[in-house]
Amino acid sequence: MSDGGSLHVEVTTIEQLTPLIKHFTLRPVDRAPLPAFSGGSHVVVVMRGAHRVYRNPYSLLSPPFDRSAYQIAVRRMEDSRGGSHFMHDQVFVGSRLEIAHPVNLFPLDKIARKHVLIAGGIGITPFLAQLEDLHDGVIPYELHYAVRSPAHAAFADRLRALAADSVKFYHDSEAQEIDYDGLLSGQPLGTHVYVCGPAGMINRVIATARRWGWPDSHVHWEKFSAPPVGDAFEVFLARAKIGLRVLPDQSLLEAIEAAGVEVPYLCRGGVCGFCRTTVLEADGELLHHDHYLSDADKARGKSIMPCVSRAICKSLVLDL
Amino acid sequence: MLVSGIKSKPVYAPLGADAGGRYHLLLGSGPGATPLLRVLAQLRSDVPDSLARSRVLFLPATDAGAAHAGAAHAGAAPADPGAATAAAAVTETFTAAGVPDVRSFVDSGALLAEFESLLGTSLMGLRLYVAGPESFIGLAMRIALQFNLNTDEIRAEECGSKARRVRCVHCRETTEGVRTNIVRCSGCRRWLLVRDHYSRRHAAYMGVMVDAEAPGQLPTVEEIFP
Repeated sequence: MSDGGSLHVEVTTIEQLTPLIKHFTLRPVDRAPLPAFSGGSHVVVVMRGAHRVYRNPYSLLSPPFDRSAYQIAVRRMEDSRGGSHFMHDQVFVGSRLEIAHPVNLFPLDKIARKHVLIAGGIGITPFLAQLEDLHDGVIPYELHYAVRSPAHAAFADRLRALAADSVKFYHDSEAQEIDYDGLLSGQPLGTHVYVCGPAGMINRVIATARRWGWPDSHVHWEKFSAPPVGDAFEVFLARAKIGLRVLPDQSLLEAIEAAGVEVPYLCRGGVCGFCRTTVLEADGELLHHDHYLSDADKARGKSIMPCVSRAICKSLVLDL
Repeated sequence: MLVSGIKSKPVYAPLGADAGGRYHLLLGSGPGATPLLRVLAQLRSDVPDSLARSRVLFLPATDAGAAHAGAAHAGAAPADPGAATAAAAVTETFTAAGVPDVRSFVDSGALLAEFESLLGTSLMGLRLYVAGPESFIGLAMRIALQFNLNTDEIRAEECGSKARRVRCVHCRETTEGVRTNIVRCSGCRRWLLVRDHYSRRHAAYMGVMVDAEAPGQLPTVEEIFP
């Protein structure tokens, strides 16, 4: 959290898990126990690059009861704005990083009668920590994990050790596909479904669940949007009386922070709603990229989520 | 004397169909028939094929368990020439509304047992509609809660008696069919003040000894849950 003080950690191991994914172990610099967390939590990692500061959310995948270290996995994004490349190319064993306290925006339902977990690629990470809570076997669950090919199946061994009977792998390379209709049409009452993966997978799960009559309260998904790039635009912060320019590959939130103004945030991915900011004046179009505001709110144009959203405006005035 | 504004007191709203559901399970007692028929009419017009995946469990007359509670519902079921006649009439009404599976019961215990066993074999996509006296809704909700049904899967409309199930905080017995502000506990015989505090898990309101400080001195006993 931007106001809760950072945790200072040191990278103690780095492992190349798949051609695209690196796994990092982070230990507190002072060796004091880290805050406890629950499965599904993420931390925002602060990366101080040469020219700018990146803050990216990564799911914690270590066992939640292990407070000696946190583990995260980072996939190198082809169209990265820099954060994942920074983690892959400029972080080494011994590097020190700042991270925010863990926050859980993707928790398991505590009174579910069954859990169905669906992961695509790097989307496996939040489930790894959740499986640690689930593998006592009290609540039935199944995990469906789709990846490009066996070589891309990060954590396959850990998954087999943790939950061999409940995990099913799907490899694109062998044309294996998740049968979403089959999966969601026959689940017992009180089941919850969770999906983390590419947008196409999330949308399919949501649409299929809806078609089979699942109520929204039983369908959970996590998708952190990377802030999209766009044209540069000008913003005026009314209370701070600061005018600033948001560069094409910079988010509005990053630009505001670079000007020295603090905005509270938790996820930086358009999910949590924490950075919701009031728009006082907008002469043009707001480009909402978040999953938080309702369509009605977006149309009304009185609020914006600066972590992922942009604008094409002659003038944009924010209540900051 | 009653503390009002207690947030745990359930609030119900008029029933309407949820076209987003795949299976529809309708539970009713006494005057609950009317709202349930309204739901079925909406389903028939909005999602005609969903009627084939609908089911009704119904109690035509209010039963002995809620006996004092239900006296006022004479109009709901045919003037009782026999439970069998009432059951046949109800079955006919719901069958005429297009429901293939209608089951009629003579007491709420049997209905709720059947309900519980149905939930055990039901699939995600089910919507539950409950219509009847408040205590009947509460007992159904208590079972639904065990199956992790959330508020977006359940709709309930209160009609009929407001008689309460009251759970004694001293001996933990539940007194049924309470219509008065003060009631004698059926377990420990203490005089209890009936509060608005509601437990969904017990499907009962809280009853607290009313004359603890001045034994035998009771406030005026009034019928406030007709």
